[in-house]
Amino acid sequence: MTEAFVQIIIFGILIGALYGLAALGLSMVFGVTKILNIAHGELIMLGGYASFWLFRLVGLDPFISLPLTMLIMAVVGLVLYKLLFVRTVKLPEEEKIKNTMLIGFGLTLILQNIALILWTADDRGITTAYSGQVFTVLNIRFPIVRVAGFAVALICLLSLHLFLRKTYTGKAIRATVEDWEAAALMGINIQQVYMLSFVLGAALAGVAGALVSVTFSIDPSMGMHWTLKALIVMVLGGLGSIAGTFAGGILLGATESATAFLIGGNYREVIGLLLFLLVLIFRPQGLLGAKER
Amino acid sequence: MLKLENINAYYGDLQALWGISLDVNEGELVALVGPNGAGKTTTLKVIAGLLAPAAGLVEFRGQDLLKKSVHQIVSLGISQVPEGGRIFPGMTVLENLELGAFVPEARKAKDQTLQSVYKSYPILEERSDQLAGTLSGGERQMLAIGRALMSKPRLLVLDEPSFGLAPILVDQMFVMITEINKQGVTVLLVEQNVRAALEVAHRSYVIENGEIVGEGTGVDLLSFESIRSAYLG
Amino acid sequence: MARIQLLLVAVVVILLACLPLVIEKDSTLNLLVLILLFIIMASSWNILGGFTGQTSLGHAAFFGLGSLATRLLWIQGFPLLPSLLAGGGLAVVFALVIGIPAFKLKGVYFAIGTLALGQILFVTVGNLFPTISALPVEALRTYQLAPRYYLFLVLTILTVGFAYLLANSRVGLGMMAVREDEDAAEALGVNARRHKLLALVFSAFLAGMAGSAFAYYHVSYYYQFPFAPIWSFDTLTMVYIGGQGTIIGPIVGAIFFVLLREFLVLNVGEYHLIVFGVLFILVVLFLPGGFVEAWEKIRNLLVRRRSKRDRNASTTA
Repeated sequence: MTEAFVQIIIFGILIGALYGLAALGLSMVFGVTKILNIAHGELIMLGGYASFWLFRLVGLDPFISLPLTMLIMAVVGLVLYKLLFVRTVKLPEEEKIKNTMLIGFGLTLILQNIALILWTADDRGITTAYSGQVFTVLNIRFPIVRVAGFAVALICLLSLHLFLRKTYTGKAIRATVEDWEAAALMGINIQQVYMLSFVLGAALAGVAGALVSVTFSIDPSMGMHWTLKALIVMVLGGLGSIAGTFAGGILLGATESATAFLIGGNYREVIGLLLFLLVLIFRPQGLLGAKER
Repeated sequence: MLKLENINAYYGDLQALWGISLDVNEGELVALVGPNGAGKTTTLKVIAGLLAPAAGLVEFRGQDLLKKSVHQIVSLGISQVPEGGRIFPGMTVLENLELGAFVPEARKAKDQTLQSVYKSYPILEERSDQLAGTLSGGERQMLAIGRALMSKPRLLVLDEPSFGLAPILVDQMFVMITEINKQGVTVLLVEQNVRAALEVAHRSYVIENGEIVGEGTGVDLLSFESIRSAYLG
Repeated sequence: MARIQLLLVAVVVILLACLPLVIEKDSTLNLLVLILLFIIMASSWNILGGFTGQTSLGHAAFFGLGSLATRLLWIQGFPLLPSLLAGGGLAVVFALVIGIPAFKLKGVYFAIGTLALGQILFVTVGNLFPTISALPVEALRTYQLAPRYYLFLVLTILTVGFAYLLANSRVGLGMMAVREDEDAAEALGVNARRHKLLALVFSAFLAGMAGSAFAYYHVSYYYQFPFAPIWSFDTLTMVYIGGQGTIIGPIVGAIFFVLLREFLVLNVGEYHLIVFGVLFILVVLFLPGGFVEAWEKIRNLLVRRRSKRDRNASTTA
């Protein structure tokens, strides 16, 4: 019983890293630009398909093709930003959040159905030579693909962290988050910072999508599921905290697994949503986030 | 160097500036004084490119600023210390200063400028790894000015640098500003602390209800009847 | 309301009331039922989202609860009318339970909070009632479309009429004040929370009744189906396209949406949603007032042009 429970929790943590990664892009874009991209899940879906087709048509291993998947999704993000979201930049914050949410909502309809036309409603997944492999430590099983996914998520997280801390551009992004007007007075091109953040968020969604296609499966309607996961994690982790987002993901993954184990698999969705509502109402700065100044 | 002509500006339907004209010459220290809500900060927003005027002209060294965006104006050599300093509290003192040198030209000379800023304000070097949010009020204002100097500005624009400072620090602040000016940086100073501002400035403008109502050297204006009664008591 | 408008409304209602006598084809009547259903949904959403400014993404929850209560009671042999009212009642109870905590959330957080709430109900109902709910054989044998149609028609008239009265009442004005600026409304003595709660309750009741009617109307469906997020999303889309915050907007939006969807489904199949997605984004970006705003813009343009022409005529004369 205990061993099975530990096993379940380990699985939950491994999946949780993926949740964290799914939320990372959404959270960063929202934190910097105040664009709430409800279509983030659809970006993950597109990233999944990019990875899938690179594997199927060109034979590229999904982990090898990650940079390419990121690049493709960065371009998608750039197009979406230039076409749609840039038009909301000048709005007051409240209205901007609302309008971008609505635009994202329209986008989900469009992207989902384009994917349906292009690639049918079939579930797709990437099965590699190592897909079924598992290694065992202390009687706990570790599926190789999930561990690799965990590692990739961790690498993304650390890279983003270093980028924001160490580079001039990263510092400009952080300054914009703290006080965009003061940042503009430093000579930072705010429009460019917004665009860059959105593109980066889309690229991160691409990585998440690739990992989903290799650990689970993808289909055109998966977006909403992943957007909800990302929203939950973002709220749990607290806005603007990279480490918090990752921890939030792990927390959600572990909670879901524990719920599935203790109550039943049918309720693994519900527990996350409930947690989300409770945190949103009683601790809006996030379960793990610091109180806002 | 900087020239504003007949600026009208609005917030929504509300007209905030009514035909503001002023100029600042190379090497000068010019003060813009007036009561709260007179349009001082609004004027600075127009200069910075944060607010587009409905009519008028803004020129800096022969360039039309109205055609430039905020960051382009900074790279032309205008650096602004906004009201309250507006430092980035969640970033370290050093990071704040580095961001001051964001524009390409300033970035090339970053290390050198940093040394000279540290020399002028040693406390910033001491605190360089501290989060800016942990600084005291006076240190924050010093950081804000240091940050603005990091861009190697031709024109430094200061919005209420003495606001909220303890009286003893206010005097230091005006000494600092004079020092900066003496080192060759043109300064436009916006102040509510009228007497101190008029004393350090070469020339001053008085603004009221969005209009320039007086202009002259500091000493002239000190004898200006309405100024005396309104601000000097 | 101008007398001519009142007359127009009366004519439309009488026409709609006579339709089942004329129309032979069930499919046409079904389409009308769908339009009426969505007018109720859109108008009820509009009370909360349009009048009061609380954008909800969980409207399906009320619709679903209404259908669930009614279906369970009615199939068990309860009389129809109490069963129907129980549907609206359950939606109201739920609204009251969630209202206080939900309104701690502002703006977009309210939207994603209601989205999560709707999703929770959707999943939970799917877990608790995983089966299809089909009408008993006896009910199927005697099934007639016309009474269903009239039920929807009556509910539609009540909903739109209520929305109209509300919009012109003190309470309605209070709601709009909350929408424009909550703090300012409070300063004027409008109890923002009470007005939001009231809007939620009205909105929930009417959507719940739509669900009740749906339970009476539909032959067989999964219990979970009326809770599906698509009901919220479709409703939101039509209100935006029609013009939120107005009386006529949701009606126009619902009619337009259902008819266009019908047309698109016949011609381009399932991909009609792409068209709606594009349309929705265009409205959000360029025409936040929907068709109603577009119509007013066009009318203003015409009026201005006419007055300009008149002026020109008078100056040349």
